[in-house]
Amino acid sequence: MKQILLLFLLLIGITVTAQQHTIKGKVVDEHTHPLSYANIFIKGTTEGTSSDSEGNFALTTSKKGEITLCILMLGYSEYNKTISTSSSELLLIKMKPNNIALDNVVVTAGNFRLKGNSQWGGATAVDLVTSGGSTGDLYRSLQALPGVQVVGESGKLFIRGGNSSESQTYIDEMHVLSPYTTSGQNETVRSRYSPFMFEGINFSTGGYSSEYAQGLSSVLPLSTKDNSPITKIGINPSTVGLAGGGTKAFDNGSVSLNLDYQNLGPYHAIVPDNITWIRPYQLFSGGSQLRFNIDKRTIFKTYIGYDRTSLAQKLTSLQDYSIRDFDLKEDNLYLNSTLQKETAKGYKLFAGAAFSYKNQHIDNAITINDQCAEKEWEVHLKTKASKRINDFIRLTLGAENFSRYYQTSYTDNKNTRSGTINHSISGAFATANLNITNNLSSELSSRIEYTNLNQSWNYAPRLALMYNLDGIHFSGIVGRYMQLPENRYLILNKLLSSENCLHYIAGIYYEKMNKVYRIEAYYKKYSNLALQNTYAVASDGYGYSKGVDVFFNDKSLFKNFEYILSYSLNLSKRKYQDYTELSIPQFATKHNAALSLKYTVPALKSILGITNRVASGRPYHDPTKEGIMNATTSYYNSLDLSLTYLATKRLLIYASANNILNRTNIYNYVFNKDGGSVGGYRSSPVTASSNSFFYIGFFITLSGKTAYDVSNF
Amino acid sequence: MKTIKFKLLTMFLIAPLFVLAQESPTEILNVKLAKTPIEFIQARNQLERLSLTTTQNWHTYYYLAYCDIQLSFMLPIKEDKIRYLTNAENYLKMLSDIKEVDPSELNTLKGFRLYAMIASDPQTNGPKYCGEITMYYEKALQMNANNPRAILLLALFKNDMANFMHQKYENLANDLDKAAKLLANEEITSIKPTWGKEWIERGQKGK
Repeated sequence: MKQILLLFLLLIGITVTAQQHTIKGKVVDEHTHPLSYANIFIKGTTEGTSSDSEGNFALTTSKKGEITLCILMLGYSEYNKTISTSSSELLLIKMKPNNIALDNVVVTAGNFRLKGNSQWGGATAVDLVTSGGSTGDLYRSLQALPGVQVVGESGKLFIRGGNSSESQTYIDEMHVLSPYTTSGQNETVRSRYSPFMFEGINFSTGGYSSEYAQGLSSVLPLSTKDNSPITKIGINPSTVGLAGGGTKAFDNGSVSLNLDYQNLGPYHAIVPDNITWIRPYQLFSGGSQLRFNIDKRTIFKTYIGYDRTSLAQKLTSLQDYSIRDFDLKEDNLYLNSTLQKETAKGYKLFAGAAFSYKNQHIDNAITINDQCAEKEWEVHLKTKASKRINDFIRLTLGAENFSRYYQTSYTDNKNTRSGTINHSISGAFATANLNITNNLSSELSSRIEYTNLNQSWNYAPRLALMYNLDGIHFSGIVGRYMQLPENRYLILNKLLSSENCLHYIAGIYYEKMNKVYRIEAYYKKYSNLALQNTYAVASDGYGYSKGVDVFFNDKSLFKNFEYILSYSLNLSKRKYQDYTELSIPQFATKHNAALSLKYTVPALKSILGITNRVASGRPYHDPTKEGIMNATTSYYNSLDLSLTYLATKRLLIYASANNILNRTNIYNYVFNKDGGSVGGYRSSPVTASSNSFFYIGFFITLSGKTAYDVSNF
Repeated sequence: MKTIKFKLLTMFLIAPLFVLAQESPTEILNVKLAKTPIEFIQARNQLERLSLTTTQNWHTYYYLAYCDIQLSFMLPIKEDKIRYLTNAENYLKMLSDIKEVDPSELNTLKGFRLYAMIASDPQTNGPKYCGEITMYYEKALQMNANNPRAILLLALFKNDMANFMHQKYENLANDLDKAAKLLANEEITSIKPTWGKEWIERGQKGK
């Protein structure tokens, strides 16, 4: 009985004698702005409160002595402080951004995160494709961005005065040897891969991480979807062919398949170009991807893509007016497997393997009855590990190897010439992301590479600094990049050094109220470029490229309307390849500008895109004048349109037209070689095979659960 | 004998606590009663504190995710919406690891989160998530055909899609009635999910 009494006495005693203490304070962020509704509590208990709209709080507790005060707020690191409940001190609690926020710093010079790898990326594949004149092509969609130069007869990426071979494409961090389709003479190539395959598109026009190898000018890392949870089937008849496929989702993953047959014969029958076709351009391609979640933190993905291109056309020689039947066939295979794992301790592990294969054969390539063949493959192996050690530093370490094989042969009436290169590049890279202060961060990375072809070691350091001044992001990058010369030069001299390029970039980025402002200045210094003299090729070439890129995006002018304005100034000169003097490369244009307008009309279930691209004239060499690269073509202009119309829940119609004003853009002039001795020089303008291109596609969703889904992946 | 009496008395004192545990704890009840953003934030803060004290049942994480999704609808700034929806995704991942979780309610909440994602940025997230939303709600209904929240939210989503296509979802009224009847049978004091009535009103406006 005494025990019962004692229990009640104790309970009553506690209630009566408990002394209340009030802990007061203010919660602020790193800029001392008040943080409202932070969760403030005594650790290990449910005793707590929330800060008010001014960040102030008052927490009343009956606890005595020392307690651990804990503050939680989304986007900030957990804050803990041991205090005495009897203290009357007014606490000022400064919260720091948490690791997730720190890892999301993506505003660096040269980098355009078009589709974020996270779900919060700015744009979707639909955004890319609905821009005027994209014709559903990934690379064409990127050409309205600053730093991308118009090379209308090619379709490949030429970035900031760099050649297209200096731009590299990666899928799920693995290198793609030939990302472009094959085409005939002066016909633009396209991406082999649909933009709808990708969830993340990070386009970097310079100063990129040392993780990416063998690219002197730019990289385009693309990320496929980690999961595709919906089973779906769709077909896509269009003016260029028929595609179809789908995805089968299962509990732990999914498998997707897409088949595509393109034939430009019917298109050219309606819209003729300036080529006499013997066999129209045909492309058969198939792609499949398996995504499998081994467990909740481990994803295995494998992609295989094959395509076969075939075309034959009549071409006229400028030398002797002879007509030959240019006949091209190409097989291309790409296989890519990756494994990503995040451990419970926060390590992000990655391992990948990719195989690229290309086999091209051309009859009557340069003269009648010649044969040209190229066979090329690459195996890319890569592994890396990354971990945020603490709020200050994230470390990434990795290693990779490229094994490459290239074989070429040329046979004409007289003889056969052939050559083979078989070599490997091994590299290791390390990156440290440092959060020096709340406003200042840095990325320090370096890469070391061994190329067995010339038995040389190369080292490429890079330093990037980012400073945030009240939302205005200043960034600066200095980095060295290297790349082996193109195969056509390596085959002549296997001991050529790796070509080098030093990037210096300074940029300012500001985003507010649905407006993005961006300006970047860059200077690129090239060295060790392959230079062909009369008798040999040596690594004696050099050059520079400098300029300014400006980008402005406004989504706030009026509802459902968006416009993008971009401008690039580029000044570049090189002494390399067959440029025996320091000259402006033929692909370089001094001024490039694009204005893209996009208007969504909900009442018509349509998106209208208009893009106008303008570029100053291209330099070319006129042998009738003194000097080299001594003339300039007229300016380039192309007004492009696109219309996306959601006809029904299951039918999306997409139409795109390039150069609707039908302007004949001239990219170069070629001259006959013996003009000085036989009847004078004759010139021929280099233009695209047709001024304009039209595309109409019908994306039909056949499966039950999806709507306006244009992706079969 | 005295010891037995003491133990009996102690059990008598503690027993109501076990009975109460079958019902909604105050923290969850506060979530159910919240109407304004401030009430939701304060309720989620309470729930968050509770979640850190002891090993929790699935309801705690469920209601934390629910609060974060609700807040994304209510808060005006896009960055805040993003933050809360990202956090809700983390709670949903944690819920997926708990065996006891009601799979029908979990799938409904996953769909509801995607619905909030679309609301935060219709142009970007609409095409991206419209298929997945339907999939989650349909999965939820396969597991429990009488889940009022799945019935309701699927109907609302189908109606939104139909409106977008300048059409009408003919079965909206029936679905809303069915959901309303099922919701009327749910006790707010129960620890189980009972939310959804406020969405009936929204649906009725769209009829």
